[in-house]
Amino acid sequence: MSARPGAQRLLLEAAVGLLLVTFVCALFWWVFANLDTAWEWSRAWDYRAHLLDGWGRTLWISLLALPGSCLVAGLLVAGSRTKLRTVSWFTRGFVELVRGMPLLTLVLIGYYVVFAQKSVSEFFHLDGPEGKIAAGIALLSIFTAAYLSEILRGGLDSIPQGQIDSARAVGFDRVQVFRYVIFPQALRRVLPALAGQFVTLVKDSSLLSVIGIMEFTYGARTYNSATYGGIEGFIMLGIGYLLITLPIAGFAHWMERRFRYTM
Amino acid sequence: MDISAAALTKRYGPLAALDALDLEVQGARVMALIGPSGGGKSTLLRAIGGLELPTSGALAVNGVDPSGKDGGLSWRRRNGFLFQQFNLFPHLTAYRNVTLPLEKVHGHAPEKAKSLADESIERFGLAAHAHKLPAQLSGGQQQRVGLARAIAHRPEILILDEPTSALDPEMTAEVLELIGELATGGQRIILSTHEMGFARAVADQIALIAAGKVAEHGTAAGVLESPREEITQRFLSKVMRFA
Repeated sequence: MSARPGAQRLLLEAAVGLLLVTFVCALFWWVFANLDTAWEWSRAWDYRAHLLDGWGRTLWISLLALPGSCLVAGLLVAGSRTKLRTVSWFTRGFVELVRGMPLLTLVLIGYYVVFAQKSVSEFFHLDGPEGKIAAGIALLSIFTAAYLSEILRGGLDSIPQGQIDSARAVGFDRVQVFRYVIFPQALRRVLPALAGQFVTLVKDSSLLSVIGIMEFTYGARTYNSATYGGIEGFIMLGIGYLLITLPIAGFAHWMERRFRYTM
Repeated sequence: MDISAAALTKRYGPLAALDALDLEVQGARVMALIGPSGGGKSTLLRAIGGLELPTSGALAVNGVDPSGKDGGLSWRRRNGFLFQQFNLFPHLTAYRNVTLPLEKVHGHAPEKAKSLADESIERFGLAAHAHKLPAQLSGGQQQRVGLARAIAHRPEILILDEPTSALDPEMTAEVLELIGELATGGQRIILSTHEMGFARAVADQIALIAAGKVAEHGTAAGVLESPREEITQRFLSKVMRFA
């Protein structure tokens, strides 16, 4: 839309850019100059296996909860769109219940009231640390799915009736109408919101530390207490999460461009 | 082409879009529906196309109930439908808009779908635009793609719901010319239109639909040149005032 930027515009961009960089640098300098604790990056290096272990667990939890949440979200969307009123009300009620609770509460109730009970954990074979992680992944999937399903429902409802008419007119059956016409367009529309929710999922996994899952945040905090205030652990924590969330956001932006159909 | 409607009614809440409509058409090649907006032309076409389930009454087109036992699916697959607002699939290229139904609905192998699509796309002068998305095409081009999609599987009947109402005069002429060619080629067509000159030139039978009923039905020349009903006379004198 905009033409080639003129020299004046470039100058303005450069000046504003320089100002912003200076401001951020000054802010960092001010924060770090006032630190009471000294950096000790060698300690972080000594504990690298511990931190990496937590990061890896967060990565795995995210990688499994991501498809898990999609699966549950798919069921919730199908449930809310079914013609059986009781099923759709039940699904909507479930979604509102989950969305109305903080994840922390859901994790505490889900784990201590449900999964941690002996008969339940034995039934699902969830005893031991792996079982705890599995329960955490399930709870995280359910929580995220409630949000995903609402995003998807909004996307599906936004497809104009003309598209459905047109799809029926060319002879698509009900499944084909959904598969070839409604779903691809809806997915494209909600992609930014979905990506945001996936990034949130990764960050939310940090709350699983409350039930004793030794994920990344848990790892950084134990590092912090084991080293009597190794604050470099928190910097690692920030970088570690960004290493997972930024690629997700980047991939989503690529998908948006790839499947753009409006000019 | 035969159409038989008896007391055909379609209600949307309190509104009767079709109000016990009766129509007997026999041996039509091209049938045109004219009449005021909101009179029920679109609803009748949608019922004929198997897109709308009538509330009551009976409808048969070439002896088939369009919304028959499989909810009209097999009937829709036999025929072609073109919408006023084009309704192309915006996420697919013009080409894919034509080939996808050929593959998934009519079961053609991709090569066969491709050759059928090429045929109708070239026929409508769209070869240069085939790989564009609908948003990159003008209204006239989009409607030509819609037409290509509607005829690619060689439909028994082509149903056109005000195919040029959303187009400017130049594009209208372009699309009408193509529809005229299809009619000359023997394609059976039912259309609704506000283009009286076109209806006169292409249709052999015309029905005026108003207030959910057939106000007048006869040959194109009869209805347009010597209308019997007062409502037809009033309608024609209005639409022809600036023609």
